[in-house]
Amino acid sequence: MSDLLRTFLRNRKAAIGLAIVLAYVAIALAAPLLAPFDPIARVGRPHQAPSVEHWLGTTRMGRDVFSQLIWGTRTSLMVGIVAGLIVTAIGTFIGITAAYFGGIVDDVLNFLTNVVLVLPQLPLLLVLAAFLGQVGPWAIALIIGLTSWAWGARVTRAQAMSLKTRDFIQASAMIGEPTWRMILVEMLPNLLSIIGFNFIGSVIFTIITEATLEFLGLGSPLALSWGTMLYNAQTASAIMVGAWWEVLAPCAAIVLIGVGLSLMNFGVDEIANPRMRTLGNVAKALRIEKRLLRQRMQEASQ
Amino acid sequence: MRFLLKRLGFYAVAFLVAATFNFMIPRLLPGNPADIMLANSGGMIAPEAREALMATFGFIDAPLHEQYFAYLGSIFTWDFGLSIKFYPMPVADVLTQALPWTLFLTGSALLISFSIGTLLGVLAAWRRGQLTDVIASPTALALQSVPAVVVALCGLYFLAVRNRFFPTSYAFDPKLDPAWSWEFISSVAYHGFLPVVTLSVVLIGGYLITMRNNMIGQLGEDYLAMAEAKGLSDARVRYAYAARNALLPSVTALALSFGALFGGSLITEVVFNYPGVGNLLYLGIVGRDFPLIQGQLLIMTLAMLLANLAVDLAYVFLDPRLKRA
Repeated sequence: MSDLLRTFLRNRKAAIGLAIVLAYVAIALAAPLLAPFDPIARVGRPHQAPSVEHWLGTTRMGRDVFSQLIWGTRTSLMVGIVAGLIVTAIGTFIGITAAYFGGIVDDVLNFLTNVVLVLPQLPLLLVLAAFLGQVGPWAIALIIGLTSWAWGARVTRAQAMSLKTRDFIQASAMIGEPTWRMILVEMLPNLLSIIGFNFIGSVIFTIITEATLEFLGLGSPLALSWGTMLYNAQTASAIMVGAWWEVLAPCAAIVLIGVGLSLMNFGVDEIANPRMRTLGNVAKALRIEKRLLRQRMQEASQ
Repeated sequence: MRFLLKRLGFYAVAFLVAATFNFMIPRLLPGNPADIMLANSGGMIAPEAREALMATFGFIDAPLHEQYFAYLGSIFTWDFGLSIKFYPMPVADVLTQALPWTLFLTGSALLISFSIGTLLGVLAAWRRGQLTDVIASPTALALQSVPAVVVALCGLYFLAVRNRFFPTSYAFDPKLDPAWSWEFISSVAYHGFLPVVTLSVVLIGGYLITMRNNMIGQLGEDYLAMAEAKGLSDARVRYAYAARNALLPSVTALALSFGALFGGSLITEVVFNYPGVGNLLYLGIVGRDFPLIQGQLLIMTLAMLLANLAVDLAYVFLDPRLKRA
């Protein structure tokens, strides 16, 4: 395990991504300590610009944007992680089951996955949320979790299919290992990178989708999250009256966590698949080669 | 041919699933949508409309399976009932007016982002570790995780409100009448610029990364060394050999990105108050216009499936092996 962690951290992208995400987690955990004001109390005049007292200004209701942002981190992160877990659990289960059992089981599950993939997801989520009425963050996490597993199921299935043909899996099957052991002990550990990739991707997707749904007014307006902040800013016409801080603050928070998480994912991808490595070593090698060439040219000309 | 027939069958079933889903939602969830709408309309809906409304949802006095078949029949006759918000316009007419704008928006954004993203992906992989790659790949990666809401709101604030470079809403100047005149077309381009750019920015990162990864997968292949050994020009090896083969998985990724395309278009239309079907869905939800919502969902599904079908056709063209199968 510590080996895995060391490999992960040696990848610079993954390390930076992890640092960003950990910072968010720390902010979410320490929200009551960090937030200077009660996020839902009127603590200033409406639409005050950022100042020493209100770092990110105030909303039209006179609430402190910075405090809202910090408390919102808690909600958005929790929703992202919960939905990410649901998505990953369903996707992994369906993907491995389809690949392992094959035949009719695979046909049915694969068909189901493909159908879900060609349906327009955001409109569907909107319609669901519209019929449910304004829902809280947990309900949103559940809805997103239950409807977004198809992509993960598809990639997990593909990976598990190729794994199934490996010798060690065939050998374990021949010595009569029970199915649960085949799946949990032989296959699952070898799929960890794709599962991790799926989980991180799902967390990004959920955070974005939650913010989008809430921005459109389908979340509970009482919840404290980045999406509700955007919704309140929109209904207060913050952009039109020039209160940019009310809109840009949650935007920046969403973008930064997204970048952090996808850096982690890029790292996972590079570790699992070394050919994808960008830059670092190749660029370094190229630079050294160029320098050597130049030196040789100089020596030759002298 | 068999491949395409199989896909067509699949799409037919997928559409049936979506339609069934659409049929089930109002029935599974608490409350009768027709009554909710009547309560919200504050007496604006006439009693005759209530009958039509109930019929739209298939809430006719009949067993469930008969309701279901009546509902399916109404889909094929393009009869989605009357809109509440745009009463007494039929939902089908409301949607037909909005559809061209959405197609214009999504079509142009798709064309721009896929061609630029793919081209940059080819270059980034070809010159791995050099300037193009070092700048383009991390930028694409970051863009991939930026939601459409954020891009749209930032575009609106910086380019339409703070600096009045572009208009904040509508698809063309409301003072103009639609016509094939230079004035009208330039107005459409001017109003469409920010929405199209927003949508392209959201999509481009994914295409770039996918193409780059596919290209890297091709780089070590023997046929490329052979092409180079034949003395073909660098550009020819890159585009006609490596990129052509790397394009195949990219086209699959294209099909998978249609969800993001239509979702992104929905948000963009709402933020820029653009009169497409996505904005209609939003207005329908805010105004509790359930016939409009359901009709829109079916249109969206149909658009998704047709887009996927188009990709299948492209696939047959790109991969000659499928023609024989």
